[in-house]
Amino acid sequence: MSGSVVLAARDIIKRFGGVTALDGVSFELRAGEVHALCGENGAGKSTLIKLLAGVHVAGSYEGEVRIDGAPAAFHSTRDAEQAGIAIIHQELALFAEMSVGENLFLGALPRRRGLIDWDQVYARAAATLAECRIRLDPAARVGDLGVGQQQLVEIARAVARKPRVLVLDEPTAALAQHEIDTLLDLIRDLRARGVASIYISHKLDEVFAIADRITVLRDGTAQATLNARDTNSAEVIRLMVGRPIEDLYPRRQPTAGATLLAVRGLSVAPRRDDPPVLENIEFEVAAGEVLGIGGLMGAGRTELVMHLVGLWGTRTSGHIELDGAACDVHGPRAALRRRVALVTEDRKRYGLVLGQGVAFNVSLSSLAQLRRGPFLDADQEIMRTKAVVADLRIKVHSLDQPVATLSGGNQQKVVLGKALMTSPNVLLLDEPTRGIDVGAKLEVYELINRLTGAGKAIVLVSSELGELMGMSDRIVMLCRGRIGGVFARTEATQERLLAAAMGHVDRAA
Amino acid sequence: MMKKVATRDLSMAIALIVIWAFFAWREPVFLSSRNLSLLSVELAVTATLALGMLIVLLPGQIDLSAGSGVGLSGAVAAVLVFWHDVPAPVALLIAALGAVIVWAAMGALIAIERIPAFIMTLGGLLVFRGLHWLTIRNQTVPVVEGGSSNLYSLLTTYYLPRTVGFVLAALVMLALAVSMLRARARRKSYGFEVDDREMTFLKLFVLAQLVLLVVLVTDGYRGVPLALVILGAVATLVHQIATNTPFGRYLYAIGGNEEAASVSGVPVRATVIGAFALMGGIVALTGFMQTAYSGASTSTVGSLMELDAVAACVIGGTSLRGGRGTVLGVMFGALIMASLLNGMTLMAVSPETKYIARGLVLALAVWLDLRLSKKQ
Repeated sequence: MSGSVVLAARDIIKRFGGVTALDGVSFELRAGEVHALCGENGAGKSTLIKLLAGVHVAGSYEGEVRIDGAPAAFHSTRDAEQAGIAIIHQELALFAEMSVGENLFLGALPRRRGLIDWDQVYARAAATLAECRIRLDPAARVGDLGVGQQQLVEIARAVARKPRVLVLDEPTAALAQHEIDTLLDLIRDLRARGVASIYISHKLDEVFAIADRITVLRDGTAQATLNARDTNSAEVIRLMVGRPIEDLYPRRQPTAGATLLAVRGLSVAPRRDDPPVLENIEFEVAAGEVLGIGGLMGAGRTELVMHLVGLWGTRTSGHIELDGAACDVHGPRAALRRRVALVTEDRKRYGLVLGQGVAFNVSLSSLAQLRRGPFLDADQEIMRTKAVVADLRIKVHSLDQPVATLSGGNQQKVVLGKALMTSPNVLLLDEPTRGIDVGAKLEVYELINRLTGAGKAIVLVSSELGELMGMSDRIVMLCRGRIGGVFARTEATQERLLAAAMGHVDRAA
Repeated sequence: MMKKVATRDLSMAIALIVIWAFFAWREPVFLSSRNLSLLSVELAVTATLALGMLIVLLPGQIDLSAGSGVGLSGAVAAVLVFWHDVPAPVALLIAALGAVIVWAAMGALIAIERIPAFIMTLGGLLVFRGLHWLTIRNQTVPVVEGGSSNLYSLLTTYYLPRTVGFVLAALVMLALAVSMLRARARRKSYGFEVDDREMTFLKLFVLAQLVLLVVLVTDGYRGVPLALVILGAVATLVHQIATNTPFGRYLYAIGGNEEAASVSGVPVRATVIGAFALMGGIVALTGFMQTAYSGASTSTVGSLMELDAVAACVIGGTSLRGGRGTVLGVMFGALIMASLLNGMTLMAVSPETKYIARGLVLALAVWLDLRLSKKQ
């Protein structure tokens, strides 16, 4: 089915100072199609989206945007909204203290005699949620919802505005598989009603599951627009990276050494008198080994690694052994002293001081080792930071560059660099490749190989089964806070892992 | 990035020149050696407290009790000296130690028990004001017997002899030159951008001129005030702490993103408690100088000084949310506040108008700051 062109961008050139972000990009969206935009971080996807959303206003770029064939000039995001373009941003933009219903209709709350008509707010919210097949209470406080559910609210909010064009920027980064399925079904429903969608994702399996056409951007130019049916992920990756990628998961397993971290019969509750959320967790990680931890959203993956460094929960039973000796870690500082480092999932919230520079962030965990008398040894700090930046190939103009201005992949490398600078023996990586592009992912995987080669133990938490199977030597699947199954690399299949995550005991193993 | 900083700094310098030009025009005596000497003592008091406030603001806290603390610590020392015949150095030491302990305790309640700093120190403001009045029994307690002097009274009345002033100025210039050139050489060896030779020389030259100017101007009255030397020492200390120690980095990190700092192994609680303990010491020092400047502890000493300190920080580009602020900026801000107060006093402006003017300047400065930092 090929409908009329709803939205078109022609020969767009957008510059930021001396940097050209978009260099003559043309793009066409037809009614009733799902059009995926693929490209590495910095390829220009976000810039193009912001231009269509009215964030980059008319006049700040060259080229033209047309809606239904007529030239359009957006001077604000409101203009774009009125033209029927709704955007779901990568970063959540919800009000945590307000209810789901309020969030859905904020800015256009139904009123009666000047006052907000609360009955109507919640009735309409319930209808919208049902339409989106989202099972949530419209009166629930958004702050009490999980990240995945919040993402669904964000999507419902866009749908509530009855858009003609829906733009989804990495909508599934925080979603569990069943939530992703809900979302993809919803997009298909909307497509059947003639709504056109632009879908941005690093996850190519999703792209191929949903997209009709795929446009690949690289370095600010459109490389090609392909029919999804006539292409495959290898071709798309080649266009994105500009070179073929031999092996997406280059795991090389060295011989394992002594056990560095062991968790025995661990049960943890959020607070003292709560029922435990993690129950009877057991695993070991040896030097040179990658232990993968998987599970659905809410299975307790993040809670587990947070607890290991003393950031979350109260232990009700069990213990942790480091280098064979039982030990209690009371917080990240104590953990670092025992050479256990955590790289957190939410890098903006827990990972970075965004307003500060690269050197400030990279050295933050190691300042105590960089002292000369009471003062910081600036020479040593700069040399060691430079070494980390070069080692991880972090792209920066200068060490003072604020990390807020870096791309997602480079920000993630800064967080990794901060952990590495403390020279940890055990590295806990929580979703280390979330929201970063294929090239940066590969670099993270190569880094994992180098670290295990140097005798470090790595715990890799991931919601991507491919990554778990590709990079782990053993995989622990969590299911509602318990161990659902443990698999060696050779015996792990997607079906078995999923079954374990959902609590079906795998008798065949 | 560079440009933004430049516009900001420039706008502050212009504001300062406008203020000075206005007062010089309306009240020529403003630029006299005597008045500028007094202004430098007033600046020392305002700026010292503002530097302490900077340390508290950087990790995203605030200290509203600073003004009351100034009054109380000055009062404790004055009562010890005047009513109990304690030697002045001992009295100052006792009062200062007390302040450090009390502020560390407030810091502990804020950091460990999670009482918001705004509330905790608002409570402190009231409690310390009451204790201050109790301490002096609503009387006027001089800092020294009439006609004599002690360490306490000398804080704001001692002026360095001419030769000492020049020697000190020379030493300061030498230290500045050495540290600037060393920093430049180091940056260069790492391949960072550095100013060219002429620019470096020009900066040094301007700085040297400024130091010399201060010495010459104050020599026209009675010499370099001791209070100004104290301010110089405090500013150097705070600058070193903020930029060159792990503790200072932690202050910025906590203010920038407390959760990330904590996950990165920053000792958040210890750092916040340390910041308040340091503030306690600075509050006491300011209290001694301000009380000495008034000649006696009275019930109004220190009143509303916390707001001048916050204003000086904010005018100097410190973020009230934490994570941003520099010693140099705060010094500029304090100079603007002190100049305004001094000039208005010279013009015999009524107290009512003074309050209104201070408030307007604060709001204006923040507005300008927001405008300028958004434009770039």
